[in-house]
Amino acid sequence: MDSTTTDMTPVGYEACTSLLTTLLTSYPPPFMFVYDPETPRLTSSVVRTLVQDLKTRSKTAGSPLKFASAVVNAVACFTRRLFYDTVLNALAEWRPSWEDGCGNWSGSGSMSGQRFNENFDAFVHGLQAIRTLLEHGSDDLTTKTSAKGKGKAKATSNNENETHRLIIVIERAERLKDSLPDLLVPLTRLAELSQLDVITIFVSDVRWADMRPSLGASPDPYYIDIPALSKQNTIEIMTTAFDTMASCSSSSKLVDAEAYSPVLRSLYDQFITTLYSICSPFVHDVYELMYIAAARWPGFILPVLEAHRAYIEELDRLRADGRSHEFDSDHRATEVSAHSDDEMRDHDIAGILYLPTEDTRIRLVRLFTPSFTSALEGLYPRLTHAADWAREHIPPANLLTLPYTQIPAHMSGALGAQTTGGAHRRDIHAFPRTSQFILVAAFLASTNSPKSDMRMFGRGTDERAKRRRRKGGSPRKAREGTGGGGIKIPQRLLGPTPFPVDRLLAILGVLLEEYDAETRPQVPQFAIPGEYTDMEIARVSIHAAIMELASMRLLIRVSSADRVDATPTFKCGISYDIALQLAREIGIVLNDLLWDSV
Amino acid sequence: MDCVEIVTPSRASLRIANHHSTAASPLLQQPRIRASTPTRSPQALPKYGRRGVSPSKKARLALDDATQLESNETPQDGTEPVFGGTTHLRSSVSSRRKGKATWRPLASDEALPRILPSELEPCLELQKRAILKSLQNLPDIDENDEHVSANATAYGQLNDLLKGTVLRGEGNSCLLIGPRGSGKTRLVEKAIASLPERPIVIHLSGHAQHNDRLAIREIAWQLAQQTGHSFLPSEGDNAVEETPPDPENPFLDEPEPNIVLPPPAHLLALISVIPTLPRPTIIALDAFDLFAAHPRQSLLYCLLDTVQSCRVGTGTKGIAVIGITTRVDTINLLEKRVKSRFSGRMLRTACPGRLHHWTELARAALSASISQDVPEEWPPLWKAAVDSFLHDATVMENFKETFSLTRDVQTLRRILTTVATNLTAASPYPSAVKLAASTGIQRCPPRFSFLASLPYPAICLCIAAVHYQTAGHDAFTFEMLHESFRDQVRTSQSAPIQIEGGGIGMAFERLIALRVFTPVAASSSSTTREFVLYRLVLDRNEVKRAVGVMGQTNLKKWFSKA
Repeated sequence: MDSTTTDMTPVGYEACTSLLTTLLTSYPPPFMFVYDPETPRLTSSVVRTLVQDLKTRSKTAGSPLKFASAVVNAVACFTRRLFYDTVLNALAEWRPSWEDGCGNWSGSGSMSGQRFNENFDAFVHGLQAIRTLLEHGSDDLTTKTSAKGKGKAKATSNNENETHRLIIVIERAERLKDSLPDLLVPLTRLAELSQLDVITIFVSDVRWADMRPSLGASPDPYYIDIPALSKQNTIEIMTTAFDTMASCSSSSKLVDAEAYSPVLRSLYDQFITTLYSICSPFVHDVYELMYIAAARWPGFILPVLEAHRAYIEELDRLRADGRSHEFDSDHRATEVSAHSDDEMRDHDIAGILYLPTEDTRIRLVRLFTPSFTSALEGLYPRLTHAADWAREHIPPANLLTLPYTQIPAHMSGALGAQTTGGAHRRDIHAFPRTSQFILVAAFLASTNSPKSDMRMFGRGTDERAKRRRRKGGSPRKAREGTGGGGIKIPQRLLGPTPFPVDRLLAILGVLLEEYDAETRPQVPQFAIPGEYTDMEIARVSIHAAIMELASMRLLIRVSSADRVDATPTFKCGISYDIALQLAREIGIVLNDLLWDSV
Repeated sequence: MDCVEIVTPSRASLRIANHHSTAASPLLQQPRIRASTPTRSPQALPKYGRRGVSPSKKARLALDDATQLESNETPQDGTEPVFGGTTHLRSSVSSRRKGKATWRPLASDEALPRILPSELEPCLELQKRAILKSLQNLPDIDENDEHVSANATAYGQLNDLLKGTVLRGEGNSCLLIGPRGSGKTRLVEKAIASLPERPIVIHLSGHAQHNDRLAIREIAWQLAQQTGHSFLPSEGDNAVEETPPDPENPFLDEPEPNIVLPPPAHLLALISVIPTLPRPTIIALDAFDLFAAHPRQSLLYCLLDTVQSCRVGTGTKGIAVIGITTRVDTINLLEKRVKSRFSGRMLRTACPGRLHHWTELARAALSASISQDVPEEWPPLWKAAVDSFLHDATVMENFKETFSLTRDVQTLRRILTTVATNLTAASPYPSAVKLAASTGIQRCPPRFSFLASLPYPAICLCIAAVHYQTAGHDAFTFEMLHESFRDQVRTSQSAPIQIEGGGIGMAFERLIALRVFTPVAASSSSTTREFVLYRLVLDRNEVKRAVGVMGQTNLKKWFSKA
């Protein structure tokens, strides 16, 4: 998708590009910070294009100012060495090649064979070496890199008045704070430390204030704020993507070859406008919207193409029969995408794809509108990827001829919600019954406070007495609750609390005794009530099941695994909804057992 | 319905008038003004219609309206489209007054044409470049005050000191202390450049050289660069270099095994060589306070010891150590043995002390002269523009505000850079509006400018977080917010927009990425993502404002419940 922005500046970025160009070609501040909270990817692609453009332009035209640039991504360059090497290779336009051992750029001429990735000082020496390389023509470079061959001949002649400016652009710069914290300050002072004309540009969706090093170690950057894209601009950027998609769609198997035919452009505009109005309250990022559009458009246009193809086949068949003229006149009435223009009639006869009529278009949009929402639900969080989604949501054949009642359910978008949770739920149901009991018990143990256990699960004869005694102690607890500030938040929202495995087993015992005892086969040797359950929870298989669930992260082990003497503690790893389903499965009313029920 | 029928003919007639009048009649202004004051026109027009005023009379009434509003529009003409929002926010009456008051001197000035003649446009470009160039290297302001400025004093002392080192072979050390942006580094550069003889200059920075080993290697490198033969210790270090990096993981940095310092004897060996070099040496230590944090301060000790033992007349060349720092108590950071070897000289620099200097700096930068030939009408024209800019009351107010917040000249430089880059042929002169816009970006940029354009689920999460804040829970989990969002959707009559699982989780992660939500504690592996505790960074009022700007009633209702 980046290819859409490489050939021109997208609308809405004119102010930013002209500002950057003015600065970079005159007297730029040594450290700039481009901030765009909404569409950082688009912005960094704009900056990348701009810098590249400056470089190529300065090479061809005989301007006294020459640029060398490096655009690196702080996500990709997550260690110092990677960062140094990437920057230096890009500045020197050096591409490691397999044949000569994938070596990094290591100086030229007398200084060759050095390692510039040792530490920051070495990196600065590398920058200085690059500057001298640029200044003294680049004969060495030409012989070494096979990729670069042009523009070197004259480089030797006119390097007296030239000044060389190095530009280092760092995308996703907010990552530097975590991955390379000790590089942040030197990078912002790079021009001062290296005594070179080097410009550092950070591009980020986080304010400089959030990543600024302490004690004012870095100078404040020159801020460039990118205004948010307006609606018209977003739509325009999305619709201009149509042309580039047309060129690259032929290779894809999923996309029909004619899906991006230029005649359909105005329908595409309509499609994009509808898509935007549905999805924009939830997503503003152009790239996300374009992703959804790319997944939906081939399916959206398929009925039109199918109708067209069916028509052509019909036409061919009838032509072969020699009755094309009669067909043309009487078949027209039944054709879904009926049209009246003379021009269209011509196209029709010739079998060229044409734009469907207004009615058909409105019908199409109405039919597909629900699926936009489901596309958003599925694709924005990347629950599935575009190709898969498009494959799943291919519209039924002859959609345009179907009466409204026969339109399949998945077109109305009802399926989307089910498919997302479906897989998970199936997995849960596949568990053995014991594991299901353990999970419910773990959820109860994690959600209820240990103090409430006696009241929730105490089944002895002294239950009354216990409860009365508890009441004596309760005022203090009540005061704590009110004094602690505001409403009490149910534990299931605050997250699971850890519990020792003994407590889990005790609660499991109660659950098994109450909900499972009847289903067990009669065993005569257990005469005392609860004895059979006691035996059940002491089985090795229970412990094995607990360990298995822990390995699946459905129970989360809190205590360290290498300690043998301590009782292991766990947390419950399943959500309330899943616990509710599991409980229903094994016949437990979960809300009755929760201390603060929903 | 009535009013529609009456309005249309008048609009039509106006449009005709527009088409036919070629002279610059005020009628031309009218449709624009109508558009800009939508609240007035619907009430006004039917009234005329009911009284049966003829279209021509109507036009005259509107003309009055237009002239009245004309003055309002005048000062805003200079606004850049990008920053236009800031000025329109004022109430109309006050801005009209202000606009008149501030714009009068300029409008009366004959020398300033509103729109630049096309032949002068290249001059504007050249002027822009000249301004940017002078901002890059800010001119010195000779402050003809009663007392000499701190920087001039410091420069004099530093110059004397360095001359002593270079000419007489003294060993000198001093500290240069001053706030950020007060010109410490520039001062050192200037002093070194003005020396009669070219010394060896070694620049070190506490930000780049994190330990003494790196610093000593860098000294060796720079010495080699400037004297032409290598000082790098060869035997042990090369062996370390030759070892290939860990073959198992190429991404793993060597965990800085190099922190082990070379033996002190070695350190001394290199530094004690310095006075025996053929030329005197100046060592500038930027961020001197960070060097003091190195273990045992061995580098500082060696340097200052060498400086102290450098005697005049023993055939050695001089050495000067200049520490540059912003920290006032740096001298207290030094160990006793280091402090006793330090000369104790401390020079101070200062930022411009008066608003007057600040504006003079701005004037000098803005009225930078162009090196190329320009038409002779340009320099006076530009001088008048800069004068009227700097005499503007709002401009001065703005400078005063900035000056009372920070005296860092870098801030002024950034602000003026934006002003300069925003000069276009359509609005060629610096103006108060431009200054205000660029100050807004460069001085202290708003942290959450994007709030009003947040996607729907994200602002819902913010509102839910505010609700929890007022309920006394500063920290919240995703589940809490989700629950309260679902409750809101369930209970409110007009369920806002239906939303299922995915979007809201993505919105939550987006807000974390934008640093609107910050984690309360460090992340741990045993907490699942939906239960990690977060805190809202936003103020309640900021959310309120954003919700107000968005203008969705159900959101406002929900917010006001908090």
